[in-house]
Amino acid sequence: MTDAPLLRLTNVSRIYGEEVKVHALDEVSLTIETGEFISIVGPSGSGKSTMLGLLGLLDLPSLGTLEVTGTSVSDLSDGIRSALRGDVVGFIFQQFHLIPHLDARRNVETALLYRGLTTRQRREKAMTALDAVGLAPRHEHRPVQLSGGEQQRCAIARAIVTEPQLLLADEPTGALDSTNAANVMEIFRKLNDGSRAIAIVTHDPAVAASADRRVSMRDGKIVADERLSGGQVISSFGGTLGTS
Amino acid sequence: MRSIRDLVGVAVSGLTARWSRTLLIMLGPIIGVSAIVAAVGLTESAKGDLQATLAALGDNLIRGEASGSFGSEPAYPENVVERVAKLATVEGATATKTVSGVITSPYEAAENYYTAFPTPVLTADEHFLEVMQVDLVTGRWLNDFDQQTAARSAVVGIGLADEFGFRIGQRTIRLNGIDYGIVGVVESYPLDSVFDNAVIIPATTADRDFAVGLEPDTVYVRSNPGETQLTAEIMGTAINLGDSGATATTILSDALEAEAAADSTLQIIVAAMGLLALIVGGVGIANVMSISVIQRSSEIGIRRALGHHRSLLAWQFLLESVAVGLMGGLLGALFGVGIVVFASRIAGWVYVLAPELDLFGVALPSHYLGVPTLYLIGVGAALGTSVFAGLYPSVKAARLEPLETLRLG
Repeated sequence: MTDAPLLRLTNVSRIYGEEVKVHALDEVSLTIETGEFISIVGPSGSGKSTMLGLLGLLDLPSLGTLEVTGTSVSDLSDGIRSALRGDVVGFIFQQFHLIPHLDARRNVETALLYRGLTTRQRREKAMTALDAVGLAPRHEHRPVQLSGGEQQRCAIARAIVTEPQLLLADEPTGALDSTNAANVMEIFRKLNDGSRAIAIVTHDPAVAASADRRVSMRDGKIVADERLSGGQVISSFGGTLGTS
Repeated sequence: MRSIRDLVGVAVSGLTARWSRTLLIMLGPIIGVSAIVAAVGLTESAKGDLQATLAALGDNLIRGEASGSFGSEPAYPENVVERVAKLATVEGATATKTVSGVITSPYEAAENYYTAFPTPVLTADEHFLEVMQVDLVTGRWLNDFDQQTAARSAVVGIGLADEFGFRIGQRTIRLNGIDYGIVGVVESYPLDSVFDNAVIIPATTADRDFAVGLEPDTVYVRSNPGETQLTAEIMGTAINLGDSGATATTILSDALEAEAAADSTLQIIVAAMGLLALIVGGVGIANVMSISVIQRSSEIGIRRALGHHRSLLAWQFLLESVAVGLMGGLLGALFGVGIVVFASRIAGWVYVLAPELDLFGVALPSHYLGVPTLYLIGVGAALGTSVFAGLYPSVKAARLEPLETLRLG
């Protein structure tokens, strides 16, 4: 199974509701390989969030199969799925979702809990991750003492500290000003070194354009899956490049 | 093991992050446990002086009284003390005799009054102080010389001494018109108040002056500790050479012991009130923890997204609740002790911090594994309440779906 893709969705549907059924995803197939930098775009209600939940192993398909390196997730118990999620996926959210009463380092360490690490090992790994996003000097600051950009960098450090194979970002620049947004995208580009896959869910075309591959969604279906020419320089964020 | 340490760390940081809230929900178990400890402790402390008296007097003194046969004054053989002393379980014995028909008067004008309400006159031997373990307030006891010469010496009880003013100088007392010299005043003996107001004279003198005979009617026996009951059962046989029916025995401390014993009903009532406070506190914990689960839904969501199993989230919140219960219980026990000591000091009681308990007829020792049982029960109840209180919030935390709490997209 070594040649199996990192993630593969085959005819996946996600249906909500019992009596009135809503097809949030409708027979979607998608494959994500290690090393890819992919953006998933689409208007509100297009099924982006549902896709994110499935890719992040937070949700299960109603129909179809979702495989992680060849293993069908639907067959796994809740506990094993949790463990797999912790090992394979690193999450980055629009609202950062840092734990308010913990300082930056401890927020990063949260991802390393229950893994049999010593306090020292945990601390060292957390500091390395914070260093990678340029936040090591502020490791003792709590989220309220950090700017939005710094909070998002801290969240990225938390996402990469477990060395996941997939970084899953949900509107990572949505709550940031353009400078901080550029900063965060720069970090993503650095992280796109071939050792992991990066998937960004966004409705911002500028963010989407910085990826190598763009998957467009509408009404629960994938309407376009394009390879973009690599190395595009995105000079402006904030939706000034027009609508998709 | 490290996972448990991680879990404890998470729970502790969750609690310490919101000190004021943690302290507030801790108030429930603090009030509940301190109420239990203080209420039970105070009801026991109110009797603490009785227990102290009991401990000082010992529970091994038996009073034997001669039972009468028809037609004659009940009496023991003259050598009753020697007979009882032959028992291996007896430490010591002393005999007394009530001298009836003697009018005692401090002065002649009061004679009518003291004829209507006679002062008891007793004879006693030289072992009295030693066996009864009482002290003299002043003077000396009746000695061998008094007994042999039938001297008109008398020792009076402290009550009589105060009434007649013997302690401030009056030196004689008149028995049926005969003056007796007062040689000593004896301290009150709490277990048998007959001596408090009595005039005690040598048996020989009583027999000569009032022709009452030398046979005692009462014997006090100090048994070996722990053999009181046995001694009380067999002493009648030893005294009367086979006729055990001729002696009525009383273990003097029994009445006091019953009075000082744990009052089961009261203990249960006050403990139930404390328990009620504890349950209200538990509801408080459950409430606040439930709100906390909602407030921290984002934290729960992110932990789940980071791969933490839902059971770990349940344990985290349960541990927070249990920690609150345990800390609150310990603080409550501490406060309870403070209340018992403080209130006892004000009320002038001998405080009891580790009472024996009697719950629904089940007697519990004062200590268990070296810790006072009362505190074990109090802290244990707080712990149990907090586990119950934490169950609902922790299950709620475990059931939260990260997708719902993280507001994706």
